[in-house]
Amino acid sequence: MSRDRRAPLPPIAGRNCDDAWPEYKDIENLKRFLNGSAQIYSRKRTGFCSQCQKALKQAVKRARHIGLLPFVG
Amino acid sequence: MSLYECMFLLDNAVVREDWKKAKGVIQDAVAKHGGTVQTSRRWDERRLAYPIAGKNRATYILAYLEIPGANLPALRRELELSERVLRYLLLKVDEIPATEHELTTAETVEGFVVPTPPPDDVIEPEPVVPVQESLEDILAEGEMDDRPRGRRPERASAEVAP
Repeated sequence: MSRDRRAPLPPIAGRNCDDAWPEYKDIENLKRFLNGSAQIYSRKRTGFCSQCQKALKQAVKRARHIGLLPFVG
Repeated sequence: MSLYECMFLLDNAVVREDWKKAKGVIQDAVAKHGGTVQTSRRWDERRLAYPIAGKNRATYILAYLEIPGANLPALRRELELSERVLRYLLLKVDEIPATEHELTTAETVEGFVVPTPPPDDVIEPEPVVPVQESLEDILAEGEMDDRPRGRRPERASAEVAP
């Protein structure tokens, strides 16, 4: 019996490593990289390099602390 | 002296009283610990993603300040104990963004009025429903059967059968 395999979603495009790193105040931009439960997407999904993904993580965590983004959506 | 970016989450009740007083809360706290506020402005007033200190809404103030690093723990402690500052985020930065000075001076212009925050910032406590049944009523209903379920007599099935 064949397993149901869906094609992986393409990475969320629209950012180069040369651009400014995501900032905690830029909420609308950060929301693009969160799923429905406000979890951060993996690197596979965001298409970020290691450093950019770390910057994204830091920005989202700062935004959560200050009440701009939810911990659980 | 190092430069820091600080985002303060202020209670809307303080903002409603007086905007200058609300800004003074930050000015006083920083000055008390030997620092200077370079710029400070109202960033936004918005609904919080989750309730903080029993509040649904709060006012964000973005400030850039210079303070000796040795005095930071004392400042942090003061902000944490303050009831007017709901939360804060303190980050070390290299320079103040160019637009910040303009935005700060725009607030000092005569005629600048801070929009009054909406009234729904405080979370109302759920009303307590008084218990109607007394303890005697509950006890009068019948004694508790503490035998295992399998060994309890099946009362309901006997009543339902014709």
